[in-house]
Amino acid sequence: MFVQLLLKRVLGLIFVLFSITFITFLVGHLAPGDPIRVLLGNRQDQAIYERLRHLYGLDLPWGQQYLNYIGGLLHGDFGLSFRYQGRPVSELIAEGVPVSVELGLVALLVSYTIGITVGILAALRQNSWFDRTSMIVILIVYSIPSFVLIPILRAVNYFLYSINAPSLPAAGWGTVQHWIMPVMVLSAASLGYVARLTRFSMLEVLNQDYIRTAFSKGLPERSIYAVHALRNAMLPLLTVVGPSVAFIVTGAFVVENLFAVPGIGYLSVQAIGQRDYPVVQGITVILAVAVVLMNFVTDLAYMVVDPRVRVEA
Amino acid sequence: MTAKTPEVIQLTGTTPALPAPAIRSFWHDFWARFRQNRLALISLVLIGLLVMTAILGPVVYTVSPTDISPDFEINAFPSADHLMGTDNAGRDTLARLIYGLRVSLVVAVFVEGLNIGLGASLGLLAGYFGGWFDFVIARAADMLFAFPGLLLAILVSAVFGPAAEDQFGGMGRLLIVAGALSLVSWPLMARYVRGQTLSLRERDFVLASRSVGATDGFILTRHILPNLIGLVVVSSTLDIANVVISEAVLSLLGLGIQPPDSSLGIMITQATPFLVDNWTQVFFPSAALSLIVLAVSFLGDGLRDALDPQTVRRV
Repeated sequence: MFVQLLLKRVLGLIFVLFSITFITFLVGHLAPGDPIRVLLGNRQDQAIYERLRHLYGLDLPWGQQYLNYIGGLLHGDFGLSFRYQGRPVSELIAEGVPVSVELGLVALLVSYTIGITVGILAALRQNSWFDRTSMIVILIVYSIPSFVLIPILRAVNYFLYSINAPSLPAAGWGTVQHWIMPVMVLSAASLGYVARLTRFSMLEVLNQDYIRTAFSKGLPERSIYAVHALRNAMLPLLTVVGPSVAFIVTGAFVVENLFAVPGIGYLSVQAIGQRDYPVVQGITVILAVAVVLMNFVTDLAYMVVDPRVRVEA
Repeated sequence: MTAKTPEVIQLTGTTPALPAPAIRSFWHDFWARFRQNRLALISLVLIGLLVMTAILGPVVYTVSPTDISPDFEINAFPSADHLMGTDNAGRDTLARLIYGLRVSLVVAVFVEGLNIGLGASLGLLAGYFGGWFDFVIARAADMLFAFPGLLLAILVSAVFGPAAEDQFGGMGRLLIVAGALSLVSWPLMARYVRGQTLSLRERDFVLASRSVGATDGFILTRHILPNLIGLVVVSSTLDIANVVISEAVLSLLGLGIQPPDSSLGIMITQATPFLVDNWTQVFFPSAALSLIVLAVSFLGDGLRDALDPQTVRRV
């Protein structure tokens, strides 16, 4: 049963990976402009053109080209930049990847830590002032788009600066202070998601029979919440790791650009400005595959943690 | 049988005449329910006003959105000359806002048009006929679903946007953006409609219709389609909120309408560095955007409650 389910998930993963690479390849294939002509710059020569076309495999049937493309991706080869003649895309984005990954992971960590804490406290004191205010604040933060949130944060920061209180740098990268505002904005949306789900799932678990049983046999309150309730309430949170990562990936484009963080979101916008499609293409594949793999891992984790999933399938 | 008929007639003749039941159409009922929801009603009026502003605004308010104002005021606060002030290049903010609204409107209309024309139709046919067609549509939708968030829209508008602009100008680029956004939202519409069609197809009234010899075309247009209108209207209304935000994100990334033309996303990005000099320049486009998103969401909720009689009315 378990093996069957695992096999199904792996097949699903292969289909999704195929979809991402195939569509990205197709978009690049249909893209206007001839990469070889761009590569040649102002030294256009038919003989060299033909030779380069052959060298890069662009004279092959497109099915073959797609296979070559996948082969290249597996070796970390994302094609050649249009803008910087002949430089590989991987070289251009190599410096951005760790920045974006670190920023994204920190944002994910922050949103889960705060979201879970707030969600649990709100559920334990249902309908208290803390529950009400925190849920309203979270709903507001959750529904403000990041590019509106950023000016608001900046205004608050500038106010702090103007009254000589400790404030943060407005943009840039390098010190710990530079991280704070981007992380706040990036984690805002998924924080709201996680907090609301934690509260909901905790409340549901607290109404279960086994919690009442635990209370009636006189277990200490703390161990009931920590052992019986929390462990079960945390399960659904695994399922939203995927959507949270997707939030953060899209958010990263806006945040990295408005805060001048040198990650791949920032690089891709520069590439967009320079019409350097292969860079955008490479970044799309990297981000999409990262999200998909993250989803796959959480799916597996869910199967390990929750035995019901294994039985039902 | 025939012997009893006079008796029936006599019976109806003797009973005191009941007040004739008012003939209420579905839309009459719908409007009666919709009116109850103040928030949705206000949102509808607000959206109507915004649409009117977008369409008629440039006719009434003839100030250019791209020309620098003759008084060379930069980052000015609202005044009698410039009702919403001017931006950092000295352009009139109200005029830019009106053009920004036009951009949002055009993109929203095109995306939802594609979602309904393509997504809903494919979903309907896939759900009704099933078979290989269903398989192909479902897999195509799955393939597009593989991309998280706006990634595919970013890629497509980055690759095809500039060429479209070279060929067809700003409008061409805007249509590419709309097409790219629809690429990530029509699969969802198709999936909703397909699911609903699958369940409608097996309902008794469809079986009854088929048993008396109704053709597929008749069943689709007279039985299935009317039952899908609510779903399609509600989900495309709610989706407009996403589309407006996504368009702002894409223009912020330099993928949408190009400067000096304006869109809400461009206005917010361009004003953000000057926030400390003049907060009103960030405030107006942000407020317009938030207003659209909220109004569209409330309207969508109101429509859902009013179109689905089975929903329990909330007090």
